Amino acid sequence: MSQAVEGDVASGEGVTDALDREAAEGRSGGEPEWMRERRMHAFDVYERTPMPTRRLEEWRYTDLDEKLDLESLVLGRRSDVADDPEAWPEGVLTAMEEDWDAAAHVVLIDGTVVHVDLDEALAAKGVVVSSLGDAMNDEDAWEDIKQYLATQAVTPERSKFAALNSALFLDGVYVHAPRGVHIDLPIRVTRWVSTAGAAHFDRALILAGETAKVTYIDEVLSEDLDDHTFVSNAVEVIAKDGANVQFVQMQRLGRNVFAHSQQRTLAHREASANTLNIALGATTSRLDLNAQMLGPGSSSEMLGLYFADGDQHFDHNTSQDHVSPNAFSDLLFKGALDDESRAVFRGIIRVHPKAQQSDAYQTNRNLLLSEESSADTLPNLEIAADDVKCSHGATVGQLDENSLFYIMSRGIPQERAERLVVMGFLGEVLLKVSLGGVVEKITREIERKLAHV
Amino acid sequence: MDDTWVRAATVADVPPGTLHGVTVERTTVVLANVDGDVYALRDRCSHADFPLHDGVLQGETLECVHHGAKFDVCSGKATGFPAIRPVKSYEVDVRDGDIFIQLD
Amino acid sequence: MPVNETVQDLNLDEYKYGFVDKEEHVFRTRPGLSEEVVRQISKHKDEPEWMLDFRLKALEIYESKPMPEWGGDLSKLQETLEEIYFYVRPQDQMERSWDDVPANIKDTFEKLGIPEAEQKALAGVGAQYESEMVYHSLKQEWEDQGVIFDSIEDGLKNHPELFKKYFGTVIPTADNKFSAMNSAVWSGGSFVYIPPGVELKTPLQAYFRVNQERMGQFERTLIIAGEGSRAHYVEGCTAPVYSTESFHSGVIEIVVEKNAHFRYTTIQNWSNNMYNLVTQRSIVHEGATMEWLDGNLGSKLTMKYPSCYLVGEGAHGNILSIAYAGDGQHQDTGGKIIHAAPNTTSSIVSKSISKGTGRSSYRGLLQVHDGARNAKSNVECDALLIDETAKTDTYPYIEIDEKSAHIGHEATVSKVGDEQLFYLMSRGMSEEEAMALIVRGFIEPIAKELPLEYAVELNRLIELEMEGSVG
Repeated sequence: MSQAVEGDVASGEGVTDALDREAAEGRSGGEPEWMRERRMHAFDVYERTPMPTRRLEEWRYTDLDEKLDLESLVLGRRSDVADDPEAWPEGVLTAMEEDWDAAAHVVLIDGTVVHVDLDEALAAKGVVVSSLGDAMNDEDAWEDIKQYLATQAVTPERSKFAALNSALFLDGVYVHAPRGVHIDLPIRVTRWVSTAGAAHFDRALILAGETAKVTYIDEVLSEDLDDHTFVSNAVEVIAKDGANVQFVQMQRLGRNVFAHSQQRTLAHREASANTLNIALGATTSRLDLNAQMLGPGSSSEMLGLYFADGDQHFDHNTSQDHVSPNAFSDLLFKGALDDESRAVFRGIIRVHPKAQQSDAYQTNRNLLLSEESSADTLPNLEIAADDVKCSHGATVGQLDENSLFYIMSRGIPQERAERLVVMGFLGEVLLKVSLGGVVEKITREIERKLAHV
Repeated sequence: MDDTWVRAATVADVPPGTLHGVTVERTTVVLANVDGDVYALRDRCSHADFPLHDGVLQGETLECVHHGAKFDVCSGKATGFPAIRPVKSYEVDVRDGDIFIQLD
Repeated sequence: MPVNETVQDLNLDEYKYGFVDKEEHVFRTRPGLSEEVVRQISKHKDEPEWMLDFRLKALEIYESKPMPEWGGDLSKLQETLEEIYFYVRPQDQMERSWDDVPANIKDTFEKLGIPEAEQKALAGVGAQYESEMVYHSLKQEWEDQGVIFDSIEDGLKNHPELFKKYFGTVIPTADNKFSAMNSAVWSGGSFVYIPPGVELKTPLQAYFRVNQERMGQFERTLIIAGEGSRAHYVEGCTAPVYSTESFHSGVIEIVVEKNAHFRYTTIQNWSNNMYNLVTQRSIVHEGATMEWLDGNLGSKLTMKYPSCYLVGEGAHGNILSIAYAGDGQHQDTGGKIIHAAPNTTSSIVSKSISKGTGRSSYRGLLQVHDGARNAKSNVECDALLIDETAKTDTYPYIEIDEKSAHIGHEATVSKVGDEQLFYLMSRGMSEEEAMALIVRGFIEPIAKELPLEYAVELNRLIELEMEGSVG
């Protein structure tokens, strides 16, 4: 669904001293001409698209006036941190240490790719893991970049923020799994944000050839920052016929960050594009996630887990598009809210005409742990084909007293019992993911948050 | 005056019987002048969060233009459906022609 | 449930109520809406100054509000509104007894089957013809109990203090563009007051219909159910078929006082050229119960979301909604429940059927305010799609600010199962009969709450509609 406006309407909204045409021009230094043109077109779209207000359905519960102050931001600059673990922030090392084996590692600092490594055997099979900047100038990879980067999935026309990211992304990650190649271990990407008061933009493009298989685990983190900071991320997943892509994003940014991730997966015939989004950090965290079931037999399992406390505000805007018949999608987002935090979930299942035999499900469950927390949930359906099975469900409630009493009757103190019930509630999502390292890490993070409950 | 008070507007910005919307420290606030007394409320109608500053001030009642909700500007209390919940009200101090409000 | 009549007997080829009366009217305004029209209406009704001011202010507000951009397709509505007559008055005074009603009006009512309804079992019947309450009768025993069931105009005249205390307080003029329009040109509707403790065993009924081509209907109803009272109000309507659009914009305000129990049932079967945009809202006080039973079968486009504001502790709100969207129809319906006090409960059950090119959309709001401790609510929306081309949408808004609330929402979409159909057909039913049976089963939880004559009409309509649903 596009918010961009055609024609001569130049809203100029959101164009600041730092976020302007010059900035887009500046980014294209060292890039091919077609990339520069693409950025400038994206900036044009940004300029003429009105800033979303609360009167726009998708932004009804997140007040940009109060949560995002673009005027106050400088443009994030290229980091000059060396490709040497000794030079990296402590947080990066800790995050990576907690790792398991990986097929490849990528490290970004403030949107700059500072490190890439890839298992040699995989490279020999034609797997590509590189920065977008390198790939667009690489004689083998540039054609794919030109074909797919911001052209089909997260395009500028999709939304004002998609346009902004497409114009100003500093760098990002490109992964290509060629036809038939199975990458068993995950590709691990660690993105660290260090500069406060800036707007940072990065992207990822994951291209899986026919029957290829790839897992991409992305972790974005920072310290609590002193100034209002904007971290914008875009993810494009293209799964060709029979391919299987698993994308995981763990958002563990610090306070004072407005984090925005726009993700879109395109699954072709018999392909599956699965996502798991975990939101734990930032002050405001917004996810726009769209899964397209483009080919018969395609599927997408969309999992989400969130735990907000303090004054955090998490906004998840998801959509499942059944364009072709015989596709399957299943969304499960669960979250716990503490202190004065607030979670917003908006999910729409759209079954297009002729998308017969669609199976589409959507569930959102919210656990309110405190008096002041709140949840808004809007599960939507738009169904235009009749031979379908679609349903959605949403709940909001507090800790189940029966479960609590049962555990406490086993001699476990109330606080710990509460934590166990919350873990059980959120754990349902993690159980569906067979990525041991991720599960452990997140479990620990949740327990840490729970310790303050 | 301690530093929790912020300057929101000048008295000239809010003639008697009118409403004026401002944003201070990323919080949107509506100022109302009732016969010379200035009041400040959060600029969000408790019914559907639309801006109150577009509304009408009649005596001490603010009527939201969007759906007809009514509030008492002095206390922020809802006095007419579809509003039920009150709107947050802020302390106001007028000094030398400037309107200061206390955000917490 | 065996089907007694064959499909031919049900007079398929014409809409049963698609007839037109020769028009005989005393007065009607020029087409379109203007200050002049509003002044004429108020003058004709001999209203007090404050009501004229109220109407004029409403006109201003109506003109300042834009057409909504959500819900159904209102793109052609503006033109339609310029052509309709906003007020027509068929006769000069309100009638009290059936014998006094003019012949041509009686004729219309006979065709609609109203004499059948005027039976001992029913208490007063309010019937509206061309924007005015033509006929009203109230059973003596209820009059003695102090029950008021008047036309809205008489409510204003005869009970001005009570009227003014509540009128426009539940749904203020500025609530939306169409409540503003109604506030400017309202005419006809009921004024109901049930005194404290009074329990009515049979329902209050009202019929009205639109006759004149391009006629708008702006009924305004105000109901006050006193403490501990119990009553049920039923309204149903039909309209003849025309080629140009017609428009209906009603406003219904209901106050349910402490421990009272009130149910409002409406079955709408407007012909397929009607825009039906209605604002319905109730304020429910401590320990009271409000039930909306909403059946939307006709009209080109209906936008209607009966609401319950649960403002008193222990209040309960219940919305049962049936929508049928056939070819070219769009039903955009649902309900709103606001939990604003502790220990309140609510339930919404919505069942919709879409057939041919029909589209049914559920739109609902469930809001629980901070402090509405132990609020419990359940929402269930089920949609049945009969054809490949049929559409359905579900747009629930769930906003929860209270930790102790228990909120559940579920929606399903399905088509009539092949196995079910096959099974019934193997027992000797035709495909149409089987479809009708399945559809009736689908809506049964709500249909069983309807007064008998509506249930019968509903069943007949389903049979009519299922013809042609196969092949």
